[in-house]
Amino acid sequence: MNNRLEMHDITRTFADGGFQRTILDRLNLKVAEGELVAVMGPSGSGKSTFLSIAGALLEPTRGDVLIDGKSILGQDKQALSELRLRKMGFIFQNANLIPYLKVEEQLMLVAKLAGSSKEVCAQRADELLQRMGLTHRKNAYPHKLSGGERQRVAIARALMNDPAVLFADEPTASLDASRGLEVVAMIAKQVKEQRKSAVMVTHDDRVLPHCDRVFYLDKGKLTEHPV
Amino acid sequence: MYLALREIRFAKARYTLIAAIMLLISFLVLFVTGLAQGLAYDNAASIQNMPATHFVLEQGSDHRFTRSQISGEKLEQTRSVVGESNAEPLGVQMTSIVLSGDIQKIDVALLAVNPKGWLAPDLTMGTTEKQETGGVVVDEKLAEHGVRLGSILVDQASGTRWTVTGFVKNESFSHAPAVFLSKEEWMGLHLPSSAQSGPGSAEGQAAYNAVAVKATEGEVSKLQSAVPNTEIIKKADAVSAIPGYKEEQGSLLMMIAFLFVISAFVLAVFFYVITIQKTSQFGILKAIGTRTSYLAGSVTLQVLLLSVFSLAVSIFLVKVLEMALPGTMPFQLGADMLALTCAAFIAMSLAGSLFSVWKVARIEALDAIGRAGV
Ligand SMILES: Nc1ncnc2c1ncn2[C@@H]1O[C@H](COP(=O)(O)OP(=O)(O)OP(=O)(O)O)[C@@H](O)[C@H]1O
Ligand SMILES: [Mg+2]
Repeated sequence: MNNRLEMHDITRTFADGGFQRTILDRLNLKVAEGELVAVMGPSGSGKSTFLSIAGALLEPTRGDVLIDGKSILGQDKQALSELRLRKMGFIFQNANLIPYLKVEEQLMLVAKLAGSSKEVCAQRADELLQRMGLTHRKNAYPHKLSGGERQRVAIARALMNDPAVLFADEPTASLDASRGLEVVAMIAKQVKEQRKSAVMVTHDDRVLPHCDRVFYLDKGKLTEHPV
Repeated sequence: MYLALREIRFAKARYTLIAAIMLLISFLVLFVTGLAQGLAYDNAASIQNMPATHFVLEQGSDHRFTRSQISGEKLEQTRSVVGESNAEPLGVQMTSIVLSGDIQKIDVALLAVNPKGWLAPDLTMGTTEKQETGGVVVDEKLAEHGVRLGSILVDQASGTRWTVTGFVKNESFSHAPAVFLSKEEWMGLHLPSSAQSGPGSAEGQAAYNAVAVKATEGEVSKLQSAVPNTEIIKKADAVSAIPGYKEEQGSLLMMIAFLFVISAFVLAVFFYVITIQKTSQFGILKAIGTRTSYLAGSVTLQVLLLSVFSLAVSIFLVKVLEMALPGTMPFQLGADMLALTCAAFIAMSLAGSLFSVWKVARIEALDAIGRAGV
């Protein structure tokens, strides 16, 4: 089995009023191809910090992150930006689409940034929108979409450059229960079909059946819970 | 570029508003520039039109023709350095005249030049014949006061009467239309009538105001020592020493400079506010892997599009206005000046966008995670 995401001995401290607070303490995690992992934990336990480190947005104090077996540490800002563009897909709490781009253009943008040709972009965007059941909405602006539709566009955008890993930070927080389930089911399906590794931070117990493994983050460590 | 254009398409009203403001400012910049150029030319046209490179003036005259007195002797000394044909005497005097049979006084500039020399302007009508015997050539603007070929002009100071034998175009000094007369007439005005004869007998006496020369840099430095008690000034210096010229151009230039600063400032504030509004959006874009240079380029391109668009429209409007303006309105906007002004305007706009670019560069991609919805 192939691990597309590995985290080794990740430690992160923040300076807090003169002394160091350790938020993540020698944390380890391996996520296999086709696997969706959920991370839960109380507020302030460091879930977002953990996700930012895995997603190359924040440097760990110590430890190593591997994407497709390659370490991502010690690179400059531009290289990290490139890495996020091509190897990672992000799904945020509020979808965070660009308000002035139509649904299709949201997807085209990331493909264009990665330098894909126009035909390739268009074909891939079509295919993804179809899979997300959004073909009929492809010329709509985000403010005309429902919360669930927006989140599905965000998933499609995250998948556009065929990344290795998907990261989702509370993707269901702004949706009602059934919409939330629908969205997580969609993420799980894409992860399975396209052989990605995925990490999802969530507070929502009801979506756990769609996840392969569930971890609990507390006192800087991840402990696995039975699903 | 993808982002820049689509954002403008989406927020049309917002960008139209700022484009309208830019349009008004750039129009004003072009208009005032044209006016400044026009006034400058109107003020100093006759000096600008002269094919001279330098002028020889009396020392202490502060670059002003009307304060300077140059004798025939100094003219000969100058000629011996630069050559007979490269130095021409010039007389300048402000006066007022009355068209014979009328009572309306008109301010004019009397310019004494040799009618056959290279200081003499090209005629648009009439002849330079009979200039030795009381004939003068006048600027077309006097036609508005009823001056025609053959009209009699009476000098108010001396009572001398001249006959108009020809017209010239765009000839003025210190905003007054020019009246060209021969050196014989000039001498008649300035020498006691008993001593009337050629310039030879006036040797040593103040005869002219200046000598116009065509000289190389080397000859100019030779002139300085060869002709004592004189100052050799460049044509541009002579122009800016015309009474009122510097003040007029200075205040217009200040207006133009302020307009440039205002336009840069308006753009800077507008884009800065928009950028701050979009902070979280830029954070998201950076998080999903958009390079900072791309985002900065996007902001810069929007600024560039706005300023080029508003300039294009205002160039069109200024050209229309220029055609609609009456001929007496001093307005002049040549291609060179237009290009320079546009380039400066665009440069100022880009300078105004720097602040936003700096802001964009400082936004953290990290803000996208864990601070959703802020
Ligand atoms: N840049 C920082 N400087 C100092 N402390 C920080 C910084 N970022 C996060 N922290 C602290 O680290 C801890 C973990 O923050 P984090 O945002 O990861 O929590 P979380 O588990 O995502 O919480 P929530 O469930 O409320 O989103 C918090 O106590 C926070 O105050
Ligand atoms: Mg969080």
